[in-house]
Amino acid sequence: MKRPELRLIRTTAVRLAIKLVLLYGLLVSLVLGALYWISSSHIDEQISHELESELLVLQQMYGASASQQMIDHINQAQLLPEHIYLLLSADGKKLAGNLYDWPEDVEIAFDSKTQGVWVNDEVIPREIHNDDAYWPVVAIKLHDGSRLLLARNVEQAESLLELSEFLIEAMGIAMMFAVLIAVLVGREIVKRMDIISATASDIMAGDLSLRVPVSNKQDEFDTLANRLNAMLDRIQQLIRGIREVTDNVAHDLRSPLTRLRNQMEVTLLEPRSEDEYRQVLQQSVDDIEVLIKTFNALLGIAQAEAGNHRSLWGRVDLHQLALDLMDLYKPLAEDKQQVFEVHNGDAAMIDGSRDLLAQSFGNLLENAIKYTPEGGTILLEIQTTANYVEVSVSDTGPGIPDAEKNHVLEKFVRLESSRHAPGNGLGLSLVQAVASLHKAKLELISTYPGLKISQKFPRQQ
Amino acid sequence: MHILLIEDDVQAATYLIKGLEECGHVTDHAADGDDGLHLALSGHYDVIVVDRMLPRRDGLTIIRMLRADNNATPVLVLSALGEVDDRVTGLHAGGDDYLVKPYAFSELLARLEALTRRQQHSGLEQQLQLADLVIDIHKQCAYRGDKPIRLQPREYRLLEFLMRHADQVVTRTMLLENVWDFHFDPQTNVIDVQISRLRSKIDKGFNPPLLHTVRGAGYKLSETP
Repeated sequence: MKRPELRLIRTTAVRLAIKLVLLYGLLVSLVLGALYWISSSHIDEQISHELESELLVLQQMYGASASQQMIDHINQAQLLPEHIYLLLSADGKKLAGNLYDWPEDVEIAFDSKTQGVWVNDEVIPREIHNDDAYWPVVAIKLHDGSRLLLARNVEQAESLLELSEFLIEAMGIAMMFAVLIAVLVGREIVKRMDIISATASDIMAGDLSLRVPVSNKQDEFDTLANRLNAMLDRIQQLIRGIREVTDNVAHDLRSPLTRLRNQMEVTLLEPRSEDEYRQVLQQSVDDIEVLIKTFNALLGIAQAEAGNHRSLWGRVDLHQLALDLMDLYKPLAEDKQQVFEVHNGDAAMIDGSRDLLAQSFGNLLENAIKYTPEGGTILLEIQTTANYVEVSVSDTGPGIPDAEKNHVLEKFVRLESSRHAPGNGLGLSLVQAVASLHKAKLELISTYPGLKISQKFPRQQ
Repeated sequence: MHILLIEDDVQAATYLIKGLEECGHVTDHAADGDDGLHLALSGHYDVIVVDRMLPRRDGLTIIRMLRADNNATPVLVLSALGEVDDRVTGLHAGGDDYLVKPYAFSELLARLEALTRRQQHSGLEQQLQLADLVIDIHKQCAYRGDKPIRLQPREYRLLEFLMRHADQVVTRTMLLENVWDFHFDPQTNVIDVQISRLRSKIDKGFNPPLLHTVRGAGYKLSETP
C-alpha cells in the first residue's frame, strides 16, 4: 500500500486540479504580461514625447542657459501635478525644481531622449513620493554648464503594475483553493475506491456473497457499484450452475456407472453360458448408450451456453423449420391419438443456428407429446409482429405448477410426477441455453389445462 | 471393402480393425498423419477413416492434400471434439462424413458401407427397384408390384434413401440427417415410428417383407432379413 498523500496526489481529481491551475496561471500571466507591456509602452511613449517637447520649448523660450526666466517658469510649472524639475548650476547648486538633488543614476544624454531611471528616495520630497521611484527622465547640460532635468511622477504605470500584482496574488489564492478542493474531492474518491477494492479483496478471499455497498447519492460510483454487483450476481449464478451440474453429473452418471460395473463384475465371478454373457454385454451396451446420450446433451448445452456455434449462424426460415419438425413428429403424436397442428403466420426469418433451433423446438415437441395424455392437442405456432417472432409450443398436458416454473429450466430437474417417463432432465436446459444464445425471451405460461412455452426472438432489421 | 484407418490411439485402432475384419473388410492401419497420408496417396482404398487429431499431420490436412491430388476416395472423419461446428469444418475440408467419439461400432460400419455404396450410384437413374418394389425418381412415386403406394413427400424421401442403400444397414442418425437434415439426438423413438408407418405402407399385404429392423444398429431394406 502506498503512502496516503501519494495516493491522494495520484487521484484524477487532484491531478486534474493541478493541471487546470497551472494552465490557468500560465494563461493569466500571459494575458497580464501582454496587457502590461502594451499599455506601459503606450504610456511611456506619450510621456517621453511630452517630456522631450517640453524640454525643446524651454530651450527655445529661454535660450540654452539657466536664465532667471527659466527659473521662474520652473517654479510655476512644478506646481502642476506629477511634474518634476531640477535645474542645477554649473557648480552643482540647485537653482530651481522640486527635487533635493541630482539623482545618482541620471546621466546626461546628448540626444535629449527619455530614459527610465530609478530615482533614489533621498532626493525626492516626501509629499511627491515616499519611495524610490522609476521615472521617465530627460536631462541635458545647458551651454553655461548648468544641468536641467525633467521627469514625471508616473502614478498610472505604477497603478497598472500594482493591479497586476494584485491579480497575481488573487490567482495564487485561487490556486490554493483549487488545490484544497481537489484534495478534498480526491480524498472522497480515494475513500470510495477503497470501499470497492476492499470488497473485491474480500470476495477474492472467498466470500462470493459479498456486494459493494451502494450509497444513495446515485452518482457514478453508485452506478459502478450497481454494475459490479450485477456482474457478481451473474458470476455467482454461473458458479452455482456449474456446481449444480457437477453435483448432478455425479449423481446421474455415478449410479448408472456403478450399476454397469457391478453387473459386469458379478458376471465375471463364475463361468456362465454364452447366452448369459451375450445378454449382459447387450445390456451394458444399452446402458452405455444412455450414458453417452446424457453426456452429449450436457456437452451440447455447455456449447450453446458458451456460444460456440457462430460458424453455423445463418438465416433460418422458421416457417420451413416448423414444417420439417411437423413431418418428423406428427406420426409420433398420432400414435398417441393426439392432434398435432402447426399454425404458421407470415414468413418468419431470423438469424440463428438451424441445428440448435431444431433441437430446441424438437425437445419442446417431444416433451409435449410425452406428457400430454391421449386425445390431447399439441400446437406449434409461429407469430410475427413488428419487433419479434414468437415460436410457441402448447399442449393440453398436466402443465407445470407456477412454483416449479423456474426450477424446471435447471439441469437434470425432473418433476416428481414425471419420474417414471424416460428422459434425462436436460431438455428444457438446452431450450433455455439456445433461447438465450438467440437473445430470445423464454416464457412458461399455464393455459389450464396445459402449458404454453413461448420464445420471442428479436427481429433483425 | 479395403479400408485405411488413420488413428493414433493404438488400442482403439486394434478393436476397430478386429471388428472391421470380422465383418469381412481388409483394413490397413497408420498411426500418424505422415504414414497415413503416404498410404492414402499410394494405396487404392475404397474408404478412408481418419482421426482429426493426429501426431505429425492432422486429419483435415490429410484430406485437403488428398483432394488436391485429385484423389476422390470417400473419407470419414472421426473426432473427439464433438458437436456440429466441427462437423461443418470437417465436411468443408473435403470429408464425406463425420462421426463424433464416442460412437457405436455399428454406426461407423453402416456409414462406411453407405459411403462406398454412394460411389456405385451414378445418381442419374430413372428408377430404383428391389424385388417388386419400384420407385420412379422422376415422378417421385412408388409401386409394389402394379399397385401404387400413396406416400407423403417426406415418406417418399425416406423410401428413396433406403432404396439407394438397399441391402445395407442404415442407422437412425443417418436417416435423421439425410432425410430430415436434423443433426441432433432425439430422446424419443421418433424414427422408429416413421419406419413403422412406411413399413405398413410398403410391406402390409405384400410378400416378402422388405423393411427389416437390425437389432442394435438400425434398419435394412432387402429381400432377406
